[in-house]
Amino acid sequence: MSKNETSKKALLSGDEALAFGAYEAGLKVACAYPGTPSTEILETLATFPELDVQWSVNEKVAYEVALGAAISGVRSLFACKHVGLNVAMDPLMTSSYTGILAGFVVVVCDDPGMHSSQNEQDTRWVSIYAKLPMLEPASPREAKEYVKQAFEISEKFDTPVILRMTTRVAHTKEDVTLGDRVVPQQPPFERNIAKYVMVPGNAYGRHIFVEQRLNKLKALSEKTKFNRIEPGDKKLGFITSGVPYQYLKETYPDASYLKLGMTYPFCDDKIRAFAKTVKKLCVVEELDPFLEEHVKSLGLKCYAKDPSFRIGELLPELMPAVVKGEVRHEKITVKRKPRLCPECPHWATFATLKKFDFYVAGDIGCYTLACLPPTSALHSCVCMGAGVTFNEGWRKGAPDKKIVGVVGDSTFVHSGITGLINAAYNKAKGVIFILDNSTTAMTGGQQHPATGLTIRNEPTKKLILEDLCKACGADNVDVIDPKNRAEFDALVEKRINEDALSVIISRHPCKLLVR
Amino acid sequence: MADKIYNITFGGTGGQGILKAAEICGWAAMYAGYHVKKSEVHGMAQRGGSVESHVRFGKKVFSPIVQQGGADVLVCFHPEEHDRLKVFLKADGKDLIEYLEKAKAAIANPRHLNTFLVGVLSAYLPIKPDYWLKAIESVFKKKYVEENKGVFLKGREMGQS
Repeated sequence: MSKNETSKKALLSGDEALAFGAYEAGLKVACAYPGTPSTEILETLATFPELDVQWSVNEKVAYEVALGAAISGVRSLFACKHVGLNVAMDPLMTSSYTGILAGFVVVVCDDPGMHSSQNEQDTRWVSIYAKLPMLEPASPREAKEYVKQAFEISEKFDTPVILRMTTRVAHTKEDVTLGDRVVPQQPPFERNIAKYVMVPGNAYGRHIFVEQRLNKLKALSEKTKFNRIEPGDKKLGFITSGVPYQYLKETYPDASYLKLGMTYPFCDDKIRAFAKTVKKLCVVEELDPFLEEHVKSLGLKCYAKDPSFRIGELLPELMPAVVKGEVRHEKITVKRKPRLCPECPHWATFATLKKFDFYVAGDIGCYTLACLPPTSALHSCVCMGAGVTFNEGWRKGAPDKKIVGVVGDSTFVHSGITGLINAAYNKAKGVIFILDNSTTAMTGGQQHPATGLTIRNEPTKKLILEDLCKACGADNVDVIDPKNRAEFDALVEKRINEDALSVIISRHPCKLLVR
Repeated sequence: MADKIYNITFGGTGGQGILKAAEICGWAAMYAGYHVKKSEVHGMAQRGGSVESHVRFGKKVFSPIVQQGGADVLVCFHPEEHDRLKVFLKADGKDLIEYLEKAKAAIANPRHLNTFLVGVLSAYLPIKPDYWLKAIESVFKKKYVEENKGVFLKGREMGQS
């Protein structure tokens, strides 16, 4: 290898490689809210000074800003984790109808095995539901290559393109060759009411366009090199995509493969042609039977994993059991559970909540770890912001119980504000604790509006949480350091016994920030 | 043996520098001209949970994860995690756990444990010292490069003796 080649190589994760690919493809705008395993995409993009990159308030906002940018004529990207896409589903569904002007790529990172998530939803179904094309890279090198192609497909077919990765692609590192940035000519921004104002009459016309677009995309799926037949032993043929392809290649190096990189629309002709060439056809995929059900719907006989393997991630050593259709046998290994850091301010807050024996509605953040023994002082976690709204909901059926809600500072800005307004408007009572450690801690310490700093740590307008809570209609808003235990306990005791809606901002910076 | 894939499993607990150790190994293999894949799990890791990372390199690597019973070398930073991860080691694989206590005794700053063990590891892999040192330059902030090079070389010496 020459020195020159080496200098253009780097060991990059799938997230980083995707960011470099988007940069080289002339990306201009990128928006996201942090979420493992997708966070590093925006963090990498933020290192390129010529790009306009932001942490948005939440995924819905991020999607809309990025989509708007694409409609204004610059290549744009939205990135999220699988559950983040739920928050952005509203604009996503109708953006399928509006289409774009410049390329728009929707990156979604699923988390089979829930390394850091609250569920295992399989984003591939969204491509069918939203009628959008979907690419699935199986390695960092492919992530870089596919995102470039995604921009081309987006512009050629007037569509957002979903690029779906999983944790094992997003967080695998591979040696990747870097290239030069090429910015395409910018198309002019124009008013186009029939295309961008989705009132029923216009939307009907766009729905016709969407169905026609799907047919054209299907033709692309048939001919793209991303859907690749690798002829081998005719006795056994695999249809697969993503990281399971890599695991299979290790265990069955001689088999035949149809490796799918564009998983929607399906390439039916290619699937049928491949099926004809092999004696035993086997579909291997993580999570839901997305490919399996479609292959079977074509009337093809295929073998697939036992339903027990729909739960959790696949691993290389599981391939023989998956291929043979065996039931999953979990070997229980004792893994060290994560816990709050030794000097974390949440310890103090939750010691008080435990002391008062509250029923604590929670949600997503480091503080979710307070559910673990011996603290065991957090009693729900469903989605971002539900720490605020469950306080209201629980009181409907359990008015005699001591109920409070907890929400992190970043989580409150993401999804808690509307819940607090709702509580005030609907005359709900109780105490909401904003656990303000002044960062988005669980994902590694990202900025948000209440830190007063941007993704590049530049000063910006700082959201003042106490002013906001008052404006939302809270009767009392207190700011206190939970490490002053006696004072904190006294305040909590006072507020819990009032017939009021109170917010206690429990403020002490994350230990990782101070480091 | 030209097509041999080298498999290394790293393990320990959050905050011990496991990911950094695997990172150095990955960059060194890349500089040596190999195809490299490295897997890791982030997120909750920094909250003190179990951390593991796999590095695989060779002519052409598919899976980013080492199979159980597939690791040529196992590098563990914590005895309990070693109990969990020893299933990854090949029957004739090299287990660096024997160096853990010696390594701890040999370093002045506990934060150097990862670089020291990478030095020990380097004695068991077909990658020249220059590539390891170049990897250290790529992975560490400039002000930490020289001290880590020194620690690495001491570890390498222990691995070779």
